[in-house]
Amino acid sequence: MLAYALGRIAVALGLIWAVVTLVFLIIHLVPGDPAELLLSQGGVAPDPAAVAELRDKLGLNEPILTQYIKYVTALVKGDLGSSLLDDHSVAAEIALRLPRTLELILAASLLAVLLGLPLGTLAALRPGSVADRLLAAAAGLGLSVPVFVVGTLAILIFAQKLRLVPAGGFVPFSRDPLQHLILLLMPASTIAIGLGAVVFRMTRSSVLEVLGRDYVRTAHAKGLAPSRIVLHHVVRNALIPVITVLALHMGSLLGGTVLVEFVFNWPGLSGYLVRAVEQRDYPEVVGIVLTISIAFVLINLAVDLIYAVIDPRVRHG
Amino acid sequence: MAARLSHLTLPGALVAGIVLVALAAPLLPLADPVKMEVSARLLLPSFTHPLGQDEYGRDVLSRIIWGARASLAVAFLSALLAGVIGTLFGLLGGYLRGLVEILTVRAMEAVVCFPPILLALLVVTLMGPGAVTLVIALTILYAPGYARVAFAATLTTRGLDYVTAQEALGAKPLRVLALTILPNIAPPLLVQFSLTVAAAMVLESGLSFLGLGVVPPAPSWGLMIRGARSTMEQAPWLLLWPCAALTGTILTFNLLCDRLRDVLDPRAGTVGTGWLTRVMARVLPDAAPAAAPALLRAEGLTIEIATANGRIHPVRDVSLSVAPGETLALVGESGSGKTLTGLALLGLLPPSISVADGRIAFTDRAGQSRELTQLSESQMRELRGDEIAMVFQDPSASLNPVHRVGDQVAEGIRAHRDVSRRAAATQAVALLRDVGLPDPQQRSRAYPHELSGGQRQRAMIASAVANGPRLLIADEPTTALDVTIQAQILDLIAGLKQKGEMGVIFITHNLAVVSEIADRVCVMYAGEIVEEGPVGEVFAHPRHPYTAALIASAPDGVDAELAPIPDSVPPPHLLPQGCSFAPRCARVVEQCRSAKPPLAEVSPTRASRCFKWKEVA
Repeated sequence: MLAYALGRIAVALGLIWAVVTLVFLIIHLVPGDPAELLLSQGGVAPDPAAVAELRDKLGLNEPILTQYIKYVTALVKGDLGSSLLDDHSVAAEIALRLPRTLELILAASLLAVLLGLPLGTLAALRPGSVADRLLAAAAGLGLSVPVFVVGTLAILIFAQKLRLVPAGGFVPFSRDPLQHLILLLMPASTIAIGLGAVVFRMTRSSVLEVLGRDYVRTAHAKGLAPSRIVLHHVVRNALIPVITVLALHMGSLLGGTVLVEFVFNWPGLSGYLVRAVEQRDYPEVVGIVLTISIAFVLINLAVDLIYAVIDPRVRHG
Repeated sequence: MAARLSHLTLPGALVAGIVLVALAAPLLPLADPVKMEVSARLLLPSFTHPLGQDEYGRDVLSRIIWGARASLAVAFLSALLAGVIGTLFGLLGGYLRGLVEILTVRAMEAVVCFPPILLALLVVTLMGPGAVTLVIALTILYAPGYARVAFAATLTTRGLDYVTAQEALGAKPLRVLALTILPNIAPPLLVQFSLTVAAAMVLESGLSFLGLGVVPPAPSWGLMIRGARSTMEQAPWLLLWPCAALTGTILTFNLLCDRLRDVLDPRAGTVGTGWLTRVMARVLPDAAPAAAPALLRAEGLTIEIATANGRIHPVRDVSLSVAPGETLALVGESGSGKTLTGLALLGLLPPSISVADGRIAFTDRAGQSRELTQLSESQMRELRGDEIAMVFQDPSASLNPVHRVGDQVAEGIRAHRDVSRRAAATQAVALLRDVGLPDPQQRSRAYPHELSGGQRQRAMIASAVANGPRLLIADEPTTALDVTIQAQILDLIAGLKQKGEMGVIFITHNLAVVSEIADRVCVMYAGEIVEEGPVGEVFAHPRHPYTAALIASAPDGVDAELAPIPDSVPPPHLLPQGCSFAPRCARVVEQCRSAKPPLAEVSPTRASRCFKWKEVA
């Protein structure tokens, strides 16, 4: 187990290095001068003096190897440079916003699993029953409603009409934990509806498949109680594909929360990226892209380690 | 297929309706979707404006229909472009491999690593918002999906014999691609296309909602939701129309995708009717009381499978009995119904397969005779793994891969005996030692994949005999193992039997195994017992042509696989009118083709289902 974990961590570190280098190469090897590109708004040729000044500021005049070493050293120190517009530290802004997006994703995933896993198992145990059909129809609807429609309607119903919760916004946990969680509830639930439908479908088909396996027949042949067969023999094996799907979606949620963050005014990372892309603030874009990529690698590392706990075969490659 | 095609009617008609209405928008008597009338802003639905007017006084119904046009145009156009480009890349990559594969398929995979909406946003930032940008962004996003489908299908297809044959005949690669591979991958591409249209609509509306998609004042559902959001407090209904239109359309497309997939990937479903026959059996009184104190006696067992095309009976009128300490071999080719018979005895038939007729009397430890076909599932569960145990064919599939071997043995003990976790674990180690697992203390902590095939089967046997069952049903327990391991497992089962009064039903197709381990043998053919008797007598003087052919095809009984009889076992829905074996029988006479032979008594211990048993020797 330890050897497996160390191996996975080594691979993850290698991937992070590859991502860092790839981003560097894209910036420097793609034809065209980044400084010129940054300053040319609306097709107007930029002032050569301004370009030269920006090149100097970005260190683009130094030899490429020196630039690479400086870039990697700065990254290791956690320095992502500062915004071109207001000199604000990019690392500080990301450090402030990343946890909010991660919190949103984690809360949504937790809700989705709490929703999809038991219901998916239930549906698989009674295939073709009324409950199964109703749940399948609900999941079909959950997958079809766009996330911003769910969010907007949720605001209309729960904030405007029933006045149960505020329409959106953010309060730091340290200032008011209860209010923080209340504000988290709606955006997280909004994501969880679609994600929960995905988990439901995956769980249902996975459990159905495992139910037909020989070792489940063996468990029946031992005379085990149905509840033990389901919980001990079926669900644990069925979890493996469910986790894969969830992990895939976690990765895409990392940047895909744009709409939800917009609807609920949640000051997370994706909103920051949209603004940075709009303003072509290149240190900000690079910093956020790196952060998202590294977070993606780390999530996959976590998933690999969780696999090993669930499925002992994985530990031996 | 035709029945499943009808599933497409509803979603297909709905999609066609939506598309038609969108196409006909210019012809319909609708108000101008962009004409503002500020004095009439946020008016409630009226006769001239059935869905009301929006924040600029524009007609909402007209905007919804024109909005559908915008959404569908962007979605269909990008799905089509993505389809053509992606399929082309996938075909080329899959057919030419090498560098082309890297440049096409692998390069496209990189796109998939990005969250879709972020990638679309990047394109929008570079090109400015608008419908053309949307089409380009969505095409880039969805082309990899097609490429992957086409690539995978091309890899499979190009290996097929007829493709290789065409190449050998000198057909040009492009011709081969166009003529053989494309038609083969059309169905998955069709599914992919409808998936893409739905996904593109979601993304288009999302981007428009953010203000980065369709440019106002052009109507778009995403823009309408964005606009209605700002007047949500005064006019909440304005929010409902576009939300309902968008969700309904996507739902319809998703439904079509699901149905399409069902039609193109048909797996016939079967309907379970087992409960009815079980209820009937309980209601109807017993015809005759069970006789003779055998350990297990099955009478007239018939098994039924409910299929979409009616009921079939893979096992018919099987009667067999096992005495304590006796080993009964159930022999037959695959398809003879021997495994289903074994599962039926334990009440483990899969759903949709059930016991249609017959009785199974089992004498339990208390000496009481239990009618197994009439026990409830929970009563049956008490017997399973305790009084009746089963060992299956493939030990690597029959052990749960995620639990330790010792735990899997122990859980069977704890299911029937009130013992502590630790006591059960100790007992499991002792059992593993009894079945000859080396270093049982340590091996009990191992996972199944850490054991060899023979060791896994030993562990399965340990688990089966954990509670000292009175009857062990072994279904081809040695088939999946090496020849040398087979002998060891047979010795193990024989050894376990000597210790007590355990009866064994040994299901196999291997005659050498039968002569080695069994006292009596039942030969099954096409769901029926055709001959029964003591092993020595049956082997020396078979009384059924099938048994005779089996023995003849396996000289010396060594490595006896039942192959060399011409033809194969008829499937249960294509049985001949007369004797099931008649089409393959060398001694067939007219009577065999017209009438079914009964199981005739040859001697007090033997029976044969052949009219001519006296002539077989």
